[in-house]
Amino acid sequence: MDATGILIFSEDQDLVLELLTVALSLRGDANDPIFVAAIGEAPQAMAETSLAHGADEILVVKTAAEIESDAGQMAAILHEVVEKVRPATILVGATRLGADTVARLAQKLKAPCASDCMTLKRIADGEIEITRRVYGGRFVALQVLEGSPRIASIPPNRFAKANPVQAPKASIKEVPITSSPPRVRILGAAQRVRSAVDVTKAEVIVAAGRGVKKREDLALLNGLADTLGGVLAGSRPLTGDVDWLPVDSRIGLSGQTVKPNLYVACGISGQIEHIVGMKDSRTVVAINSDAKAPIHAEADYSVVGDLYEFVPAFMEACARARQS
Amino acid sequence: MTNTDGNQSLKILALIKFVPDPNQLKVSSNGRPDLGAAPFRISTFDENAIEAGLQLCSAHGGGVYGVSVVHGKAPPRDVLLRAMAMGLEKLYLVVDQDHVLNEPYRLAAALASASRFICSEEKISKWDLLICGEASADQYNAQVGPRLATALDIPVIAYATRIEIRDSTIVADRALEDRSETLQASLPCVVTVGMEINQARIPTVLQVMGAGRKPIREVLLADLPGLDVESFNEGPSLSTLDVLAPVRARKNIIVEGNDIAAKAAELLAKLGADGEVKF
Repeated sequence: MDATGILIFSEDQDLVLELLTVALSLRGDANDPIFVAAIGEAPQAMAETSLAHGADEILVVKTAAEIESDAGQMAAILHEVVEKVRPATILVGATRLGADTVARLAQKLKAPCASDCMTLKRIADGEIEITRRVYGGRFVALQVLEGSPRIASIPPNRFAKANPVQAPKASIKEVPITSSPPRVRILGAAQRVRSAVDVTKAEVIVAAGRGVKKREDLALLNGLADTLGGVLAGSRPLTGDVDWLPVDSRIGLSGQTVKPNLYVACGISGQIEHIVGMKDSRTVVAINSDAKAPIHAEADYSVVGDLYEFVPAFMEACARARQS
Repeated sequence: MTNTDGNQSLKILALIKFVPDPNQLKVSSNGRPDLGAAPFRISTFDENAIEAGLQLCSAHGGGVYGVSVVHGKAPPRDVLLRAMAMGLEKLYLVVDQDHVLNEPYRLAAALASASRFICSEEKISKWDLLICGEASADQYNAQVGPRLATALDIPVIAYATRIEIRDSTIVADRALEDRSETLQASLPCVVTVGMEINQARIPTVLQVMGAGRKPIREVLLADLPGLDVESFNEGPSLSTLDVLAPVRARKNIIVEGNDIAAKAAELLAKLGADGEVKF
């Protein structure tokens, strides 16, 4: 028998609702059942929410808390769920854990997986057309997933959350799972600092790059962000291991994709991995002392100069404009 | 320390991808990437992977071997030598003449087989670590590391920002969106890394020239044990129909002015005219 149905999985509740939006559009009139795998220490809340937003069947797997960090275990559990419902399509949220989990699951299923899909469209029975970014985001690939299982991962914040349904008709089923010993032990964990505001919703973004020499110097750019009524974000070097800025304020291929009205890139060279995260901004200003920096090609207005001199001068000009 | 071999040294396999440099890739007149004209390089995070392996070996002894799948034409020799010059013991090139290994499932299956093949060629009983970048600079699938671990049935630690070998295990920090974790796994283990883990060394011209004496070995798909290329034609597939550059238009205006204050005023005037700033 041919497989039908769409299975959704993410450890992130919001992302599950975004995946539901995609699943509802992919099934179209075919009315394929939509399954949600709710896996974790307290899967009930996710199950209830998925049910209220249009899923047809929730498969609940109760596990120990630490399993959520072990993509290997997650993939094994998900594999058991897949064996049970035999979905034609599997959609997974492309968080870091999700990406790790889906890659392992796909290898077990001997199947390809389209990573970080920007769009997904059902083009025929058993075929999904997707687009995704390649070559550092400079190009978009149009690809077709054919046969089953068809597997795709979808980044957070790409799609709207599914609307609540009037009369939920889903059933919730507990799935017993054969447990296997963990391969990876968690010795410790620490919360990473989170941004006070969501950069993806900001209308003005001031972004800091390697041109910022010391952590304290970010105060200058914070001042600029305040002046412009915006928020401060950063490129990967400042939001990575150094953690000068919260990782959720990273703009680029491995972080957030933003489209503010105004994007001011300060001391950012403009590696393609960064550009992909900000290229849909309405107006881009680049401040970089290197006239050859690739960021200038991506800017509406380029200031070739030292940000340490230019930013204070620009803030002063803003202050004067405000007074007059 | 003792590793899985019972010897005093580490055996590390670095998975290396050679890619057309995305930063130097031009758009052809038809909107497609001009792949022929772009210079090749080691995929960015794979440089960090090699570096991470070399640092472990300088602390514990041992060596880093490289393996790379080459689709169609081999990358230029100087790019291969650059990888060698970083400090690889030997580089194996898996030659995929007909672009059979064009997606991560097949790639991981081939790399799993190649890792076993290289073990037997080098008379190594087991790898301690297999290291690669968290994603490649061209396709950015972020799949091959975890897939390879699955194919080899060994653990993986993805997105590592620090690694150490402790009592024949790997202890690593890794960064997730909301938290960082310290994980421990037995060896052998697959590790994927990004730019945070280290600053990759840049070999000197002399080192690159000297690397010409180091062995580079080509391997055909047919040489890889247990790799069933025929089976790739069954089951689901992912095929690429087209690759196009999104159209975008920027004003590309350089803000001029006699001094910094004049430039600042000029930028403010322009942003004001566009309606982007209002005071």
